[in-house]
Amino acid sequence: MTVKWRGVLMHALLAIAGVLCLFPFYWTLVMATNTTSDIYRFPPKFTFGSQFDDNVHAVLRNVAFFQSMGNTAIVAVSTTALVLFFDSLAAFTFAKFRFPGRNALFVILLATMLLPAQLGAVPQFQTMAAFGWVGSLKALIIPAAANAFGIFWLRQYFQNSIHDELVEAATLDGCGFLGIYRHVALPSARPALAFLGIFTFVGSWNDYFWPLIVLTNPDHLTLQVALSSLNRSHGVDYSMVMTGALMAMIPLIVIFTIFARQFIKGATEGAIRG
Amino acid sequence: MELSRRTLIAGGFAAMLGGTVAGCSSSMDAGTTKKNASGNIALWCWPGGLGKSVLDDTIAHFPDQHIKYSEVGGDFKQKLLTTFNGGTSIPDITGIKGEDIASMLPQANRFVDLKTIGADSILGDYLDWKVKQATTLDGKVLGIPIDIGPTALFYREDVFTAGGLPGDPAKVAEQMKTWDDFLAAGVELKKSNPKAFIVADAADLYGTIVNQGTARYIDKDNKFIGDQDHIRKAWDTAVKAITLKVDGKTLGGSPDWNAGLDKGTVPTVTGAAWVALDIKAACKTSVGKWRVAPTPSGPANFGGSFLAVTKNAADPAAAFEVIKYMLSADNEAKAFADAQIFPATPAAYDKPQLKAADPFFGGQVPIEVFGPAAKNIPIAYEAPLDSAVATPFTDELKLVQAGKKSSDAAWSSAVQKAKQIGKRQGVQ
Amino acid sequence: MTLTATAPTRPASTAKPQRRRGILSYWRFYLALSPFYLLFVVFGLYPVASTILLAFQKWDGLGPRKMVGLQNFRFLIEDSTFWLSLWNTVVLFVMSTAPTLVIAMTLAVMLHSAVRFKGIYRIAYFIPNITSLVAAAIFFAAVFSTNFGLINAGLRSLGLPTEDWLRQPWGIKIAISTMIVWQWAGYNTIIYLAGLQAIPTEQYEAAKVDGAGPFRTFFSITLPQLRPVVLFTVIMSTIGGLQTFTEPQVMVGNNGGTGQSGMTVVMYFYNQAFFNNDYGYAGAIALSIFMLVLLFTAINWKLLGGRGRQ
Repeated sequence: MTVKWRGVLMHALLAIAGVLCLFPFYWTLVMATNTTSDIYRFPPKFTFGSQFDDNVHAVLRNVAFFQSMGNTAIVAVSTTALVLFFDSLAAFTFAKFRFPGRNALFVILLATMLLPAQLGAVPQFQTMAAFGWVGSLKALIIPAAANAFGIFWLRQYFQNSIHDELVEAATLDGCGFLGIYRHVALPSARPALAFLGIFTFVGSWNDYFWPLIVLTNPDHLTLQVALSSLNRSHGVDYSMVMTGALMAMIPLIVIFTIFARQFIKGATEGAIRG
Repeated sequence: MELSRRTLIAGGFAAMLGGTVAGCSSSMDAGTTKKNASGNIALWCWPGGLGKSVLDDTIAHFPDQHIKYSEVGGDFKQKLLTTFNGGTSIPDITGIKGEDIASMLPQANRFVDLKTIGADSILGDYLDWKVKQATTLDGKVLGIPIDIGPTALFYREDVFTAGGLPGDPAKVAEQMKTWDDFLAAGVELKKSNPKAFIVADAADLYGTIVNQGTARYIDKDNKFIGDQDHIRKAWDTAVKAITLKVDGKTLGGSPDWNAGLDKGTVPTVTGAAWVALDIKAACKTSVGKWRVAPTPSGPANFGGSFLAVTKNAADPAAAFEVIKYMLSADNEAKAFADAQIFPATPAAYDKPQLKAADPFFGGQVPIEVFGPAAKNIPIAYEAPLDSAVATPFTDELKLVQAGKKSSDAAWSSAVQKAKQIGKRQGVQ
Repeated sequence: MTLTATAPTRPASTAKPQRRRGILSYWRFYLALSPFYLLFVVFGLYPVASTILLAFQKWDGLGPRKMVGLQNFRFLIEDSTFWLSLWNTVVLFVMSTAPTLVIAMTLAVMLHSAVRFKGIYRIAYFIPNITSLVAAAIFFAAVFSTNFGLINAGLRSLGLPTEDWLRQPWGIKIAISTMIVWQWAGYNTIIYLAGLQAIPTEQYEAAKVDGAGPFRTFFSITLPQLRPVVLFTVIMSTIGGLQTFTEPQVMVGNNGGTGQSGMTVVMYFYNQAFFNNDYGYAGAIALSIFMLVLLFTAINWKLLGGRGRQ
């Protein structure tokens, strides 16, 4: 096989994989612009229809879409901001300073990643109840405000991307701990922060398990919980459900494409340099 | 996978070391119920649980009570229980679904016994068997029925006649008196139309037959009776549908089911009155071709829910007045016109809303089938653990359906699993 | 502003003077770390610890709790559904993780040598990972449906027999793992790609001089070099895979479909706690899940970690 043909084959395979990744989106669009009965016929319909407006109206009629989106945005933005701050501060401390108990604390941090969060759901709910947070968005934001994954991830990054000399020099220049964090750590960690930020934002936006349990107040639903009620009421209208899913995804896609370059760069750096 | 990766703050080795912290558990005590703030009535129900016009009318009718209605999506029972546990924003009035009522009876101390606030005067307006479902063994009444779910056989007249079966509801009733007749008709239908399965899903059929009986899985003495003949008979009929190959194996509510209704590959649905709404939502081209006939082997009930007053209600008497108004025979008839919510008050069956002919059913008057069914529902004791114990039977039946297990093997493993679930919770 | 005077992590040299200073002089560091540990104790440690305590109790969620010793575990050992859910979880984990990582590695190697459109591919591959699970599950349930699903439509047009995917024990597993592969292959591709880019090119040139073909190069240079990255992805996939919950729950319902073949152990936990209100039993299941994750992580570490890091 000549080099040229190998290249063609490779691009063909890569393109097929890309199509498979994007196909569900295309199909979601097709469903959202048609009626349910247009979709369920044989052979299925693969072209866009004209029902999009109707479907959007149906979604808006059935769930408080914009209110839920507002709630979701509040949760996702505040969670992301808190995670970025707390995680980077902790990660930087772990990466560049020595203090008694550092290793033990770090081992505990790693160990916390092993346990499924769902397992604590029952008592965690009771803790929320004791604090009076059940049904409020606080119950989603506060527990998620710092996480082991982010600290672990950023620590790897700080360890490799910031030279010890830089920290020493800053110390000699009279920078305090917070000063070094602000002037040395943050600027150099931008790609890693972008990755963690988007990862957290997407996770928070799409979170389903915990909000479903803790958001008992119907006025304070997040998008995913609201959408799941679309899927369960009488006579499922799949076109409407997919329209709702699509509407919920749009902000994520916009944010992702804006930050994609930074994001993918960040995603690639923490993992390798162990 | 994503959520777990994100919410990584959960725990770890440290959890093992730190077991001591757990000593102080904050179990909420039902005795110290906090009353809601007065002046408002918070009302919870699930999407489609109450008639829209009835709801609007009720809110307008009680301007001083400031009724605040919340539509709670997702798993309603779980939401309600977690809210009780949470202790805040508990509704004054809440809906309870028919399938959940049995498991709510042990939580009776969360609710006001409606008999203590004047329910006696209206209980006679509702179907007796339905009120019994919400009555504890020691006589407390927890809820007033919103609706009931009397079953009928919905079928495609066009598919039936094309396949050599009768199309007229009276004739269908005549020919399909029992499940055996029904399955025989299915064999007939399949001969000329191999794509049409008279049973949509044998696992559903099994559930319907159990609902037609006067005994279920656990008796009043908390003894497991799911291994006895009444259950086995339901099982055998479902298996017969499978072996006769008239079972479409189409899960109710799935894309295949929705599509099949309109295309005629799912030509019948045995279901409660409210299933009509699902069928109507799924059908665009087969409008006017559906009919309703009595359920073979007699009526059963699926679902049908209640409104209850919680102990947290600021003013239980006022809350009860709201319920009383909302669920009067007149308003239950209106709710039927709103969204096929089938009244639990026999007086409503003579109201114009129920007497109306339905063009979706080719001009048939569905109440002529559902009315008599509603009055003849068999009464069976449903233990709190009933639905948990029922699960293995349906699960194992699905394995027979998929051709993975023989009927006998599946049966004995279902019985064994059900006994085990019961034993864990103290069933004999 | 006071100097913290703590030297960066330089080995040895500055360690000595610190020894004499009190632990309090490090307060800044502990303060910087405290948010995570504080949140962890309140929302992680305490809930999990009380779940573990629950494993030795009987509790219906509302009434008083009763200590029952090891009874829940005795039930667990006899409970065939529990063992089935464990088996399902492990099978689903293997069925989804193995293809995910193999596909990701293949795509990454190809992407690494392709020059054009690299950026576009990377974005396309990542898109499934930002999709909501609920939307994706609805999509895949439709794709695998019997009469109107795309998979069967494809099989039919090729003249092959169709399958009741979501009604067959293995069909359910295939559908669920397909969805997981779809959602995570791209994510892992990106991570592998990054690993590949970090391998020095001289090594490849040396291999070329030795006359090694592409396959030998891959197995003798690429894979060993990627070891830490592979370990990272395997461990993350293990943690995620053993906790699979939403995909089967949305696709085949709370009971896991035919023969409960989509019932994972986290789903079983969830059902016992929130549907049967048997919180003590759920606690016992939770404890066993934790042991399982621990076991698998240890196995991964042993198999792949070796002398990998440090």
